[in-house]
Parts: sequence; C-alpha cells; structure tokens
Amino acid sequence: MSRSRVMPPVTGSRILWRAVTRNRKRLVAGSGLICLHQLAEAAVPILIGVGIDRAVAPGDGRALLVWVAALGGLFVAVTTCYRFGARQLMLAIANEGYLMRGEVAAKIMHPRGIRTELRAGELLTVSSTDADNVSYLLDYIPRIAGAVTATIACAGVLLSIDVPLGVLVLAGTPLVLLGMQAAAPRITRRVTRQQELAGRASALATDLVTGIRPLRGLGAERAADQRYRDISRQSLGAALAAARAQGWNLAASTAGSALLASGVAVLAGWFALDGRISVGEFIAVIGLAQFLLEPLGLLAIVPSWVAEARASADRTALVLAADVRLPEGTAPVGLVEGAAPRLDVVRLRHGSLDGLDLTVRPGELVGVVAARSADAEALMRVLSGGASPDEYDGTVSLGGTVLHELDLDRARAALLVEPHRTDLFTGTVATNVAATTGSGAAAGTTARPDGFDEALAASAANEVVADHPDGAERAVAERGMSLSGGQRQRLALARALLARPPVLVLHDPTTAVDAVTEHAIARAVRALRHGEDSGERYATLVVTSSPALLAVADRVVVLDAGRARAEGRHAELGTADEDYRRMVLR
Amino acid sequence: MSIDSSLPIADRRETLRWLRGELGRRRGGAILAAGIGVLAAAAAVTPAYALGVLVDRVRAGAGAAAVVPIAVVIAAAAVVAGVTAGLSSYRIARLGGDILATLRERVVARALTLPANRLERAGAGELLSRVGPDVAAVGKAVTDVVPTMIASLLLGTLSLLAMVGIDWRLGLAGLLAVPLYVLALRWYLPRSAPVYARERVAVAERSQLLLESVQGRRTVHAYRLEAPHLAGIDTASARARDLSVSVFTLFTRFVGRVNRAEFVGLTAIVVTGFLLVRAGQVTVGGTAAAAVLFHRLFNPIGMLLYTFDELQAAGASLARLVGVAGMPDEPRPQEPAAPPSGALLEVRDVRYRYPGGPDVLHGVSLRIEPGERVALVGSTGAGKSTLAAIAAGILRPAAGLAAIGGVPLADLDPPALRSRVAIISQETHVFAGPLVEDLRLARPRATEAEVTAALATVGAAAWVADLPDGQHTVVGEGGHELTAAQAQQIALARLVLAGPAVAILDEATAEAGSFGARDLEAAALAATAGRTTLVVAHRLTQARAADRVVVLEHGRVVEEGTHDELLAAGGRYAALWAAWEARTPGPRPTAVSLSTD
Repeated sequence: MSRSRVMPPVTGSRILWRAVTRNRKRLVAGSGLICLHQLAEAAVPILIGVGIDRAVAPGDGRALLVWVAALGGLFVAVTTCYRFGARQLMLAIANEGYLMRGEVAAKIMHPRGIRTELRAGELLTVSSTDADNVSYLLDYIPRIAGAVTATIACAGVLLSIDVPLGVLVLAGTPLVLLGMQAAAPRITRRVTRQQELAGRASALATDLVTGIRPLRGLGAERAADQRYRDISRQSLGAALAAARAQGWNLAASTAGSALLASGVAVLAGWFALDGRISVGEFIAVIGLAQFLLEPLGLLAIVPSWVAEARASADRTALVLAADVRLPEGTAPVGLVEGAAPRLDVVRLRHGSLDGLDLTVRPGELVGVVAARSADAEALMRVLSGGASPDEYDGTVSLGGTVLHELDLDRARAALLVEPHRTDLFTGTVATNVAATTGSGAAAGTTARPDGFDEALAASAANEVVADHPDGAERAVAERGMSLSGGQRQRLALARALLARPPVLVLHDPTTAVDAVTEHAIARAVRALRHGEDSGERYATLVVTSSPALLAVADRVVVLDAGRARAEGRHAELGTADEDYRRMVLR
Repeated sequence: MSIDSSLPIADRRETLRWLRGELGRRRGGAILAAGIGVLAAAAAVTPAYALGVLVDRVRAGAGAAAVVPIAVVIAAAAVVAGVTAGLSSYRIARLGGDILATLRERVVARALTLPANRLERAGAGELLSRVGPDVAAVGKAVTDVVPTMIASLLLGTLSLLAMVGIDWRLGLAGLLAVPLYVLALRWYLPRSAPVYARERVAVAERSQLLLESVQGRRTVHAYRLEAPHLAGIDTASARARDLSVSVFTLFTRFVGRVNRAEFVGLTAIVVTGFLLVRAGQVTVGGTAAAAVLFHRLFNPIGMLLYTFDELQAAGASLARLVGVAGMPDEPRPQEPAAPPSGALLEVRDVRYRYPGGPDVLHGVSLRIEPGERVALVGSTGAGKSTLAAIAAGILRPAAGLAAIGGVPLADLDPPALRSRVAIISQETHVFAGPLVEDLRLARPRATEAEVTAALATVGAAAWVADLPDGQHTVVGEGGHELTAAQAQQIALARLVLAGPAVAILDEATAEAGSFGARDLEAAALAATAGRTTLVVAHRLTQARAADRVVVLEHGRVVEEGTHDELLAAGGRYAALWAAWEARTPGPRPTAVSLSTD
C-alpha cells in the first residue's frame, strides 16, 4: 500500500489534484462518455420536434418508421454512454475514497503517534465522510463537463433555429438561475440550524438512553422525557423554518423557470405564427428551453459541491500533515542474555513531575505509590511514549540508551506499558489476550499460545471464560462493552502478562477487583514474572495504591510533590511512615 | 438480526394504520396539503397543453395576435405553479415534521419507561439504534425525499390525466410506460436491497474498527498492533468499496431499464398521435403537447424511482419506530389505600431468578429501620445487586415482597415509588451538557444555590468551582471529561437533590482507586445521612461504617450483626475482613485460603 514511504500531499488543493491525476484514465474515459450522454439527452426534444413535423403532421408512414428507428438509436446511445461512463467514474470514485481512507487511517495509527487536536469522533469523520467527499470530486468533474457540453449544444441549435430566440434563452437562463441563488445563503443558514438541532435532539436521546439506569434509579425519567420534548419541539421549529425558506425558494425558482421556458415558447410560437420558423422547430424549442434548465441548474449548484470537497480535502490535509510525536530512533535495545534491560528515570520533569529519579533493575518488582494521581499519570505518559522528548526534561533510558533514541518497535517489545484505562477490541477473549503473539490478529484461529491459560489464571480472568459456553472464543463486542469493567481490567492484565515483555509497567491494574481476588492476583503476578527460576529475565513496575500489590513488591517508591520522597519495603514503610500508611493502608 | 426480536417491529399493516391515524388526526392539514399539491401539478401541466393549442393555430395559419391569450394563460399558470409548488412542499414538510416529532417523542418516552427486564433483553444498543439512527433516517426522508416524491407522483398523474384530456388513446399510450417503470423497479429493488444491506454492514464494521483503534491508540501502540489493525480496517474498507461498486453497476442497469420505459412511452405516444391525426381525431398540436408532457416527466419520474430505495429504508426505520411507539404503557398499579408511613424498608422471603437461570435468591429477608444504615457484604455472584434492585423496586421478586412504610413497592406507581426510594448503581453516566442541567434531572426546579449545596454535601464543590465555567461547564460526551470518581460524586449529588427517604447504593465506590474511594465513601455517608440506607459494599470500610452488616452468600443471608459483633464471631465476615485488612506484607494472610467458593 502507499501508506508509508511516499510523502503525502499536505494541502487540500494538492489532495484534490492528486485525486484527479491518479484517476485520470478512468476520469477521461468516463467524462467523455458522460458528455456524449448529455448530447444524446439534448437531442431527444429536437427529435420529438422533427417527428411531429416530418411524420405526424404530413401523415408520412415511412418517415414515422425512420423516426422510431432514430429515436431507438438515440436511446441506445443514452443508455450505453451512461452505463459505461458512470461505471468508469464509480470505479474511480470508490477507489479514491478507499485510498484516502487507507492513508488517513495509517496516519492516525502512526506508530510514533501524531499531534492532533481532533477527537476520536472527528478523526472518524475525516477518515469516512471527508475521504468520501474528496473522492466525489471525480463525480463533479464529469457532471460539469456534461453540463457545459449540453449547454453549448443547446445554444448552438437554438441560435441556428433563430438568433433572437437563442439569445433570449442564453441571456435569460443565467438570470433566472442567479435569481435562485439569491436565497441560497438564507436557506443554507436555516438548513444548517435544522441539522444542528436534529443532531442535538438525536445526541440527547442517545445520551438519555445510555444513562437510562441512573435515570431510573432516581426516578428522573419524566425530567429526561421533558427535556427531550423541549429539544424535539425546537428541532421541529427549525425544520419548519427551513421548509418555509425552501418553499419560498421553490416557488420563486419554479415560477421563474416556468416563465422563462414559456416565454421562449411563446416567442417561438409567435415566430412560427409569423412563418419565421417551422412547426417542428417550434416544438424543438419548447423541449430545448425546458431541457436547458437542467444543465444550467447543475452548473449553478456545482460550485458549492466543489467547495465542500475542498473543505473536506483541507480537513484531510490537516490529519495527513500532522506532526509525528516521537522522533525516529534507530538504536537497538542493549540486551544482556537472560536479563531484562534496566529502566532509569533521571530528574524527570513533566506535567506535575518535578525531578523524579526512579530505577527498575533486572529481576525487580517495584511498586510506585503517588500521593497525587497527576504524578502517576505524568510518569505513565512519558514511559508509554504519549509525550514527545521536547515535552519533558530529564532522561528516561532503557538498557542504558535514551528511550527516544531506541528503535521504537524494539523498544516497545522490551518495555510494555499497559494503560490504566483498558482498551479491548472487537473479537474474542482469545484474540484480545493473545494480541501480540500473532494469533491475536487473525481471528478464527483456535490455537492458544503457550502460557495462555496461566496468564488468564494469574489475572483471575479465567472465570470470564470458564462461566461461558464459548470459553476463550467468547465474543468481545466493540471496545469490550459486552464485558463488565472488572472483566475488562482482568483481561487486559492477562494480555500484558502473556506478552511477557522484559520490562512491564502496570498502572492500577486491580481497581475493579475485590480484595480477595486482588491478593490472589498480586501473588500470581509475582510468581509468574519473579518466581524462583525467573532470575533477572523480567522487571516489573506497578504504579498502584493497592496494599496487596505493594506487599509483593521488592521495593516501594513513594512519590510526593513530583519526586521520590521515600523508598523501602511495604512492611517497613507501613510501620515507619505515617503518610504512607494513610495513603495505602485502609 | 436476532437482537431485534427483543423490541417489537411494526408490520406493514400496523405501520399504515398508524400513518392513517396520524393523518386522520391532522385531517385539515392533510387535505390542504393534498389540494395544494394537486393544484401545483395542474398548473405545471397547463403550459404544455396551451402550447399544443398554439401549434394547431400555427398550422391553421392564424395571425400573430393568436399568441396573446395563450401567452396570458401560460404566464398565469407559471406563477400559480410556482406559488403552489412552494406552498405544497412547505405544507407536506410541516405535516411530516409534526407527525415525526410526535412519533420520536413517543418513542423516547416509551424507551425511558421500558421495564428493567425488557431493557436487559433488548440491550442498550438496540434501543439506541431506535432513538438515534432510526429517527434520523425517517427525519431525513421526511425533509428530503417525501415532498419531492409526492410532487413527482402528482405531476405524473396530472400529466397522464392531461393526455387523457387531449385524447384518451394518447393517455393510454403514455400509460404503457408505467408497467415498464414498475418492472424496472421490481427488477432493481430486490437485487440492490441485499447489497445495500451488506454495504451498510461493511461500512459500520469499517467505522467500528477505525473508532476503536483510534480510541484504543495507546494500547495499539503499546502492543505494536498497528499493522494488524490497519489490515483489518483495510479489509473492511475494501469490502465496502467493492459492494458500493457492485450495487452501482446494478443501478446503471436499472437506469437502462428506466430509459427503455421512456422510449416505449414516447414512441407509443407519437405513433398513436400519428394514427389519430391521420384519422382526423386528434390535432398535431395535441400530439405535440402529449409528447412534450411526457418528455417533461423524465426527470421527476427518474427522481421518484431513484429515491425509492431511500424511501424503502426509511420505511424500515419507521416500522421499527412505530413498533416501539405502539408498545402498550406499563400497567399502573392501583393507588394503595394509604400512602407509605415512614421510611422502614422491608424485604420478606424474597426469591428471584433471571430468565433461564437458577434461583439467585433463596428466600431472603431484610428489615432496615428508618434512618438505619445497613451494609450488604458477600462475594461476587452472591446476589447482592439483585437484592438491591429488588429492594429498590427495579426488579420484581418471583416470590416474597419488598415494602416501604408497610406498602408493597409493587403497589406504588413509579413516580410515587421513586420519590421515596432511589438507587445508585455502579454504572455511572454523566449527562452531556452543563453540569447544573445534569443535576437538575434529579430535581428539575432546583435553584443554583440548591445545586451548589448538593455539590458541597458530596465534597465536589471545590473541583466544580475549578472547572472552566464552574457548574455551568459542559460535561459528558463531547464536553469536559470527568474522572470516574467525579462522575460518582455527581451521582451522589443527584441523590441529595432527589432527596428520597430511602437510599440504596450498589457498589457506588468500587471502581475508583483507593484515594478516590475514601473521598467517595465520605461523600456517600454525607449524601445518605438521615436516610434509610442499604449499601452494597465491596470495600469493607463501607461495612465498618454501617450500623449493621448483612453477609449474603449464594443467595442466602449467612451472617448479620454489627461490624464488631461479626468480627468477634470469627465467621465469614471476619475472614473477609482479614483478607481486606491484610496489613502485614510478606507471609500470605491466612484468611485468603478461605477464598470465596
């Protein structure tokens, strides 16, 4: 895929230009056929006039047969040109949308992270709606080409029938269309307001239903219902205001175009009465004047469409051109056979951290207690790569090399940070827990990696599968929402344990677990990563205030006011340190 | 679509009956809209008819003055056509909008009062899709599709009538196209509908994969899952692309069939005109008018046919909405002879089972004196939450009864019940919008000062004051994000505002880390001060703070007494407490070996 090496275009107009150039073959072929299609459509009213004039009026049977054959041929042309032209264009549009989406998704998921102010929902909009809108440019171009072709052809025919007639049509039509545009800003404003209120009503309904249990518990259903009624009525008001504006506009445009078309027809009728043009020409003019409104109407709307594509392209460019957060490191992780790399945090200043020193040696299980949760979060942000090197002072190194100089892929293999707010993904328990072992990605494989059951047992997640008929194939819905918070937390812990990273960082991994289970988990984590035969293979850092977890740590570091204030074993701190006792023991 | 089975979907007959009912209730508006629509179509047809007359005058060699009356008629028709077209589109939008607003309000109101077990079976997702996407789909159809569709339909009918007016045989010739249009539609719809459905599924899957990957970016990066996630998105995206191409290929063939119908209709009109003109029964002008009328219909009929599948999709959504709206209201209990006296909460010999499962509660009794605080303790699956839900009247016991002040909860209608008993569950939700409005859900007419006081009671005053706009800060989805602990404080503040005599807290502090948990415990104590309180306790400090502790195991009460009494007794509670306390690190606490099951 083109998702990596090629530098993406970084402005909206370059994105649009690229959409055109990389689809030029299909675009040219499709547009050509669409122009032919429009010419054939324009020929239909002319042919009607010819048929009335040459066949119906004189009662000429042979001419009628010729006419029917000609009309048949014309319709074959109409159908064929559209069918093959539009298909070429659809292929181009669908492919362009697909390519854009792939690029945006690859950028959003860039391993080194991107700096963007857009929220998840907005990023989703860029990758879906905006990517599609960019591709629709490939729809607008042939439409414009077809409309221009049809307009020129109609004008040519009208001028050849009678010059003043042609001039009236060509001057009058743009005037009528311009007139229609006058109301456009007001309509746009009201429709925007209507859509906004409809969106708000929908969001409110969704929000209320999502919170239905809390609402119920308090008997707040009526208040909620009333709130929805209010916004529903406001939404109705806005919809009616928009419909009124659109109604007026429809009235004006219908009357305007009907007056123009009939004005032309009446003038042509007068000329026909005068003998200046034939009856057949008169009928053709009636049809053409009617037909011409279509391509011209399209030309009037198309600028707003193109503007929309442009706006979407700009938003897409915003994502594609976003800076990458972490620098590209190349250094390998300095690994000693059979030992985890050492993790050193030296005088770290970031967020609320104010010169934190912290070391996790190979083979150690270190607990960190933070008096302020902001300190813990800042530490996690730096360790997980959520902060770029220019966002913090001090150094963080792994195996003696500064973290951001390391090859990112290998650094992440050596240092795994499982965030507190767990993320599970659509799939099964097995695909989630075995995320990094290869079988995680390919859903449907039933083979379990080594240590799967042990990891589940250690994190007390085995009951999640034991109580379920599908076992480890138990389905996990979007973002793990089919599971309880406690189940999600334990599965995430199992995933981290199964990945067996040399250095593992956990953040409050047992907050949704009861006390008895918490003790079992603490002992199991210790046994799994720091058992008797583990040696120095693993190092573990647990940021937590759980006494159960802290009790199994080799060492506990107490953070206060952004730095390490005290250090010792849980038992020592518990007896000697009054503040520690207050923070941890309950 | 098995999940659908849990909420009703109206069938075609029910949907139509509902629509007729709604139109009947707005008979005046409906008749007005229809009348104006017919007028608009008639005015739109007039010019072609008049021009036909003009063609004949031309052929008859009339003088130039013959154009004047025709011109007047056409100009007047153009103006009338314009005004009525605008008015009719507004009238239809207004009628549709009004019906839709009534429907969506009814659906949301009904959704909010679904009984708990029904809600569990239906699942939140199914309910959300009704109040969200379904309402939106019908709304979009009402504003975008329905008015044009009705106008096209009327124009088509009136044009045919005009042709019949010229000569019935010309009308019949034009009518020849109708079965071909219908055939084209019947060829297309059954072929495209399943592809569209698959395309929607593919697009939804694509969005879902993308969204969860974006939201779970930290985890994706941590586990180096970028490549598999992108591959998954790519597969879904390619599938959606291929489906939209294949459905469009069907569409181009449909257009070809529509073109064929146009050709047949137009040819039939001209050939019929030719024969009738030769027989002297119709004028050349009449034939020309019929042909022009028919040609003018190409676009409106095309619009009608091409938006038919949108209308069909909206119809499916409508059936799902009408299904919910049509659910009968929950039966309201008869008012009890006397209102509950006092805040004594009683549960007597209660049994309960979830559908298809074994009994969760085997005859549990509980009595909480007015103002007393009782903690419910037990391992996971002991039935604590079920008992709490029964005590709150959310669930109805299979046997036995729950009562407040001597009146069974089942005899109180929901508002009367909730004004006395409120429950806070672990499932917190911060309602989107200004924080003060969230709190006012519990007491709609609460003043700013009352809200501030409630926040102060639960210890939230300080951080709320620090928010960008204080208690007017927009919170929840899309607004300022509150932590789990803050969200639970808000839930407690709502309880304070609601002010029930009986409060039931179900694990309201379980999810927070231990510092937050301590603050929340204090907040919960303050929020429930003076109320009859039942606390489902995971943190045993909550149990220690209670007047009495009830230990529930396997659906039975196994111990009951004060914290100190139960510790002294050395039973189940004492074991749990030892595990909880576990102050001494190093050698594992003995209590753990007594583990749950």
